[in-house]
Amino acid sequence: MTVIRDINFGLEEGGTLALVGSNGAGKTTLLMSLAGHIIPKSGQVRLNGVDLVDKGPETRCGLGVGLVPEGRRVFPDLSVFENLVVGGYSRPSNNQSGSMARVFEVFPRLFDRKNQVAGSLSGGEQQMLAFGRAIMSNPNLLLVDELSLGLMPSVVDECYKALEKLVKKGIAVILVDQNSDAATNFCSSTLILETGDQVWLGESSALSEESTH
Amino acid sequence: MLFFDLCIQGVIQGAIYALIALGLTLVYGLLRILHVAHAALFTLGGYIGVIVTNGSGSFLLALFTSMLIVAVVGMSSYTIIYKPLLNRAPLISLIASIGIFIASEELFRIFFGAYGLSYINPPLQGQIEILSGVSLSHARILVVVLAIGLLSGVGWLAINTRVGIAARATVIDPQMAASSGINVEIIRYGSFFIGSAFAGAAGVMVSLLNNLVEPTMGAVPSYKALAIIVLGGLGNVRGALVASLALGIIESFGTIYVGHLLDRDSIAFAFLIMVLMVRPQGLLARG
Repeated sequence: MTVIRDINFGLEEGGTLALVGSNGAGKTTLLMSLAGHIIPKSGQVRLNGVDLVDKGPETRCGLGVGLVPEGRRVFPDLSVFENLVVGGYSRPSNNQSGSMARVFEVFPRLFDRKNQVAGSLSGGEQQMLAFGRAIMSNPNLLLVDELSLGLMPSVVDECYKALEKLVKKGIAVILVDQNSDAATNFCSSTLILETGDQVWLGESSALSEESTH
Repeated sequence: MLFFDLCIQGVIQGAIYALIALGLTLVYGLLRILHVAHAALFTLGGYIGVIVTNGSGSFLLALFTSMLIVAVVGMSSYTIIYKPLLNRAPLISLIASIGIFIASEELFRIFFGAYGLSYINPPLQGQIEILSGVSLSHARILVVVLAIGLLSGVGWLAINTRVGIAARATVIDPQMAASSGINVEIIRYGSFFIGSAFAGAAGVMVSLLNNLVEPTMGAVPSYKALAIIVLGGLGNVRGALVASLALGIIESFGTIYVGHLLDRDSIAFAFLIMVLMVRPQGLLARG
C-alpha cells in the first residue's frame, strides 16, 4: 500500500518545516521514512549531500538525523542518565560528558532527575528527555513528531522554547504537532499533506495571509 | 544437616538452571522467540567438555573450548534459523526451533553414539567439608562459583558499560535504539554469544556432576528452562535468575518431602502452575 507519494522539499541548516495535515495524511510515515524505519519504494533522501535511502536508522543517526518520536518513547526502565547515554551511542564515548552537559543546559530539570528511571517522569519531562536523547547524537536535522500531544500548555511552551534554542544552534527541524497553528507559527516553512499527497509547500507567513484573504 | 544439604543441592541445581535460562531470556527479550534449540547447545557443551577433557587431560581447557564453540554455534543458529524468519509469525520460528532441537538429538546419536560418553578420569572429585557432616565435591563448588562469576559479570556489563546499557535499551524498544545509533544486529549476535556460551558451560558442569553425557541430556532442561523464563516474567533477566534459584530449591526439598507423590519434574511444573495462578505476569515482571 502506498501511503505517501510525490513529496519533494529541501531544508537549509537551521531551517524549520512544519508538516501539516489531518489524521492519516502520512505525516508520521514521512518522518519515519526520513528516520529510516520505513523504506520508500522510490526516491531520494539526502543529508549534507549523502544519500540516506539505503542506510539503516543507526547509520542515519550517525550521519546527523535525530528522532523525537510520537509518544516520546523514552526507555522507561532506564534512568535519565542511561537514556542519554543511549542517545549518545553513535558518538565516541569521550564526547559523552560534554554532550550531556549541553543537554542539561537546555533542560535543567533533567539534571535534577538524572538518576530517576524515565518511566517515573511526568509527560513533559519525558518529552524533554526524548529531545535530550535525540540531541546527544549531535544531529543536523531533528524530526519531531506530535510535540504537544498529551502535555500541559505550560510544558508545551517550555518545549518550544527549548526547540528554538536548538534551531539557533543551527539544527534544522521538521515538526509535526496536532496543534498545527503552533507548528506553523514556529516553523518558517510549511508543507501540507492530504491523504499522502503534497498539496502545498511554502513560507508559513504566506499561509496565514492566504487564510485571512 | 538434611536442611543444609537440601539447600546446597537446590542452589547447585538453581545455578545450572540460571546458566541455561539466561540465554533463553536474552533471546526472548530481543526477538520474542522461544529458543527451544537452546537446550541442544547445552548438550553440545557437555559433549565437547567430555571429549576435550578426555583428549587433553585439562578440564579448564575443555570448559573454555566448549563455551567458545557453543557460542559460535549459537550465533550461527541466529543467522541460519531465526534471522530469515524474523518477519514471519513467531510460531514459525518456534516450530523451526523445535525441529532443530529434535534433529540435534539424532545428530548427537549419530556422531557420538547412542549410549553417551563419560570422563575417563573425572576431574574435581575431591571433597571439602564445609560444615561438620556436610561435604561437597570440588565440582559442585565450581558449579556455583562459575554461575555466580559469569552471571554477575554479565550483570556488571549491563549496568556499567555503554554496550550493556545499549543492549537493555534494545530489549525495551529496538526501533528507538536503532534511531539512537545502536546496531541492533550486533546486540543480537552478542546476546546469542553470551547466552550460548553460558549454556555450554552449564552442559560441561552437568556432564561432570553426572559423569555422563547422552543425546537426550537436553530434553528436560529444554522445557524446564521455558518454565523458568515464564516464571520470571518473559524477557526479564533478573526474574529468570530468581526463578531458577527458586525452582532449584523447591525441587530439592520437594523430592524429599513430596517425592512419593510427585516426581522431580512434576514438582517444578506444579510450582509453575501455582505461581501463574497468583501472578500470571511472572515473579518479577510488573503487572
